[in-house]
Amino acid sequence: MTQPARRQPFALSVLLGAILLSGQAMAAVTDQDILQDPKNPEQIVTNGLGVLGQRYSPLDTLNVDNVKELRPVWAFSFGGEKQRGQQAQPMIKDGVMYLTGSYSRVFAVDARTGKKLWQYDARLPDDIRPCCDVINRGVALYGDLVFFGTLDAKLVALNKDTGKVVWSKKVADHKEGYSISAAPLVINGKLITGVAGGEFGVVGKIEAYDPKNGDLLWSRPTVEGHMGYVYKDGKAVENGISGGEAGKTWPGDLWKTGGAAPWLGGYYDPETNLLLFGTGNPAPWNSHLRPGDNLYSSSRLALNPDDGTIKWHFQTTPHDGWDYDGVNELVSFNYTEGGKEIKAAATADRNGFFYVLDRTNGKFIRGFPFVDKITWATGLDKDGRPIYNDASRPGAPGSEAKGTSVFVAPAFLGAKNWMPMAYNRDTGLFYVPSNEWGMDMWNEGIAYKKGAAFLGAGFTIKPLNEDYIGVLRAIDPKTGKEVWRHKNFAPLWGGVLTTKGNLVFTGTPEGFLQAFNAKTGEKVWEFQTGSGVLGSPVTWEMDGEQYVSVLSGWGGAVPLWGGEVAKRIKDFNQGGMLWTFKLPKELVAKH
Amino acid sequence: MRLFAYVFGLALLCCQTAQAQVRSYDQMIAAGELKVAVYKDFAPYSFEEGTTARGVDVELAQALAKALGVRLMLVWAPAGEKLDDDLRDYIWRGSPLHNQQLADLMMRAPYDHDYAQKRNDQGELENGHVVMFGPYQNEQWQVAYDRRRLGKVASVAVFEQHPIGVEVDSVPSFYLTSVFNGMLAAKTHHYPDVPQAFAAMKAGEVDAVMAMRGEIDWQVHEAHDPQLALAQNAYPSMGKQRWEIGMAVHESNRQLAYAVEEALEGLIRDGSVQTIYSHYGLQYEVPEMYQ
Repeated sequence: MTQPARRQPFALSVLLGAILLSGQAMAAVTDQDILQDPKNPEQIVTNGLGVLGQRYSPLDTLNVDNVKELRPVWAFSFGGEKQRGQQAQPMIKDGVMYLTGSYSRVFAVDARTGKKLWQYDARLPDDIRPCCDVINRGVALYGDLVFFGTLDAKLVALNKDTGKVVWSKKVADHKEGYSISAAPLVINGKLITGVAGGEFGVVGKIEAYDPKNGDLLWSRPTVEGHMGYVYKDGKAVENGISGGEAGKTWPGDLWKTGGAAPWLGGYYDPETNLLLFGTGNPAPWNSHLRPGDNLYSSSRLALNPDDGTIKWHFQTTPHDGWDYDGVNELVSFNYTEGGKEIKAAATADRNGFFYVLDRTNGKFIRGFPFVDKITWATGLDKDGRPIYNDASRPGAPGSEAKGTSVFVAPAFLGAKNWMPMAYNRDTGLFYVPSNEWGMDMWNEGIAYKKGAAFLGAGFTIKPLNEDYIGVLRAIDPKTGKEVWRHKNFAPLWGGVLTTKGNLVFTGTPEGFLQAFNAKTGEKVWEFQTGSGVLGSPVTWEMDGEQYVSVLSGWGGAVPLWGGEVAKRIKDFNQGGMLWTFKLPKELVAKH
Repeated sequence: MRLFAYVFGLALLCCQTAQAQVRSYDQMIAAGELKVAVYKDFAPYSFEEGTTARGVDVELAQALAKALGVRLMLVWAPAGEKLDDDLRDYIWRGSPLHNQQLADLMMRAPYDHDYAQKRNDQGELENGHVVMFGPYQNEQWQVAYDRRRLGKVASVAVFEQHPIGVEVDSVPSFYLTSVFNGMLAAKTHHYPDVPQAFAAMKAGEVDAVMAMRGEIDWQVHEAHDPQLALAQNAYPSMGKQRWEIGMAVHESNRQLAYAVEEALEGLIRDGSVQTIYSHYGLQYEVPEMYQ
């Protein structure tokens, strides 16, 4: 499809619309569509508004001056009783919106009217063990297919016009604790997903499948010592052990059950031809049981998309003892310094530090705290390795008197959790949804598991401030300076979008979708959606008008925890709704 | 995120869509059916052989239902990461993942005053929705070893030389990887469950296995191998070496607990429970309460 002119005469857009609805609408999503996203303003075919994951839209019809005229045009209910956390980012192709809801449901909705075109409900077994609510983070589009992962660890390909299953493939055994909640991505004709699980005994993997039929193409374990494979004509061919050999950074045989689950999916940088994924924390949780760095837990990995070979890694929290998963998105961006263009990538880690890396080799460029309080480390050394504060590491099990607890900030839910940040190419700033909280942690003497005495860990999350937990921050990746902040009473848990119209959008658990001036942080618009906003907003153009869409539906990991944080959120109502807004074209000129 | 989520379990305030109904004793008797939650795939306590339900917990639940004059309906419960999760899912709140279905009674809950009285950081009882009662078994940690490769287990220090198998994420794993400053960690081999650890001992991969005594007794019983022996060593620095196993009901359902307790005492005193345990080759001591 050719890219339509930005502001066509009305008749032309009607004509184009008619063409789109008649035939050409069936245009398949190509590799080129994916790599160029979001250049075509009428579609969004990647999670992240582009494979880099910048969540930056070049649209500027809607801007900081006219955003107050942004208004809802339709809303779509997910229906049923399955109102849990809604964390997906909608995709748009040929006037149809594709999104997922809680409990592994997929919806196709007419983007003009909000009318449901089809719905697919995965049949989930009753012994799934999702870690943190029954959420899903969206679909991938490629060819005529819509792909998503289920809570029972299947990849499913649906026909984009009918919602009928084209193929379904069990990626891992849900009974062993595996599940998929992240959106897969398609790069160079390969469907790529993280294989993750929360249970002990799980080893994380990143895998590529053939989008046509679900055949496995390559598999790359994320724990040192496990063999990777490529598949040729259905036969597994060894492709090297992750990390070279077993046992270099793990004691005994713990590498066999090391965790490091890449549960949040990943992005892709075409310039270096690298997939960029993050990995979860190591197992078992108590760090004293596994001396060493425990590679590749709590790390960022760069992989060759052709065969899954690990090109480089950067470990944000070596020898993690606080559940600081390293899964948060690594966003590629270029900037100029000393007349030189730097190919960088940035990530805001659960552990409270913001890292800028050289994405050609994974080398540390700079890092700095992006929250006010970090106690587990006193800083980063010249290679980006944390300088630990030993007093903030929970003791070995059985080594201390019952009830001795340590206070650690950030809390294990992270200075920033899954919710993706955005990078604005005009301001050069990252917009980071962060949370200010800490935790008390202790080894628990009295615990049981399956009829057996057990050594659990006790914890409680504590807000650091009376009047806010969430802070949306504008951060300059070149200096580490915070340019502005906006506080929120409840913890932030939704994705961010930024636009050429000098806007930043994000949602709050209190139910608002909000827009900010990207340069100053001034709140310029908000709308109450009726339930907490955890989804990632998108913006696109249709019939010459600019639209914004976001999912609403409170849930996710935060409400699963008790303590003082629970008091701030216990009255929030659940939901399951897709909201779509637009700036009517007659109001564009007014401003 | 993940590991902590499992370790700590989900807290009380989660989004409830449909509140599960706790049945009163009278409703249960009127329905003529006692719903008992037992762990899934957990030999020798509760497991299925083909379509037959087996295990000491299953047989004891059958005997209790019979004594109450009702049918037994088993609710197979995949174990959560901690007991708190199981009590929440099967006794007091239910889980949307299995249609909020509650059991009237859950087997294999510990009979431990300190655990029952545990309070959270808000000062509330963590398991205040649940009554734990009716101890019916003593449990403890136990090592079994293969005499062909290991003469005797004088102390756990032999596992500096001799490989030993344990289940992942269990106290034997934590214990052997941390005791004596991690001296035994290198020879500690991890397996998904105890049967697989025993299979590894049979294959010569490890010389011993450490697990709960009930599981060890059952595996040794099933192996029919006179060279397998039970160790008598001590476990220095072990937090809790012995504990008692009982049952749990909803705190509003004490009437059921009293009725079950009475039936249980009869079954323990007349030797029925001991007989059930002997079917599976398990040692049995009468719990302290009945001595």
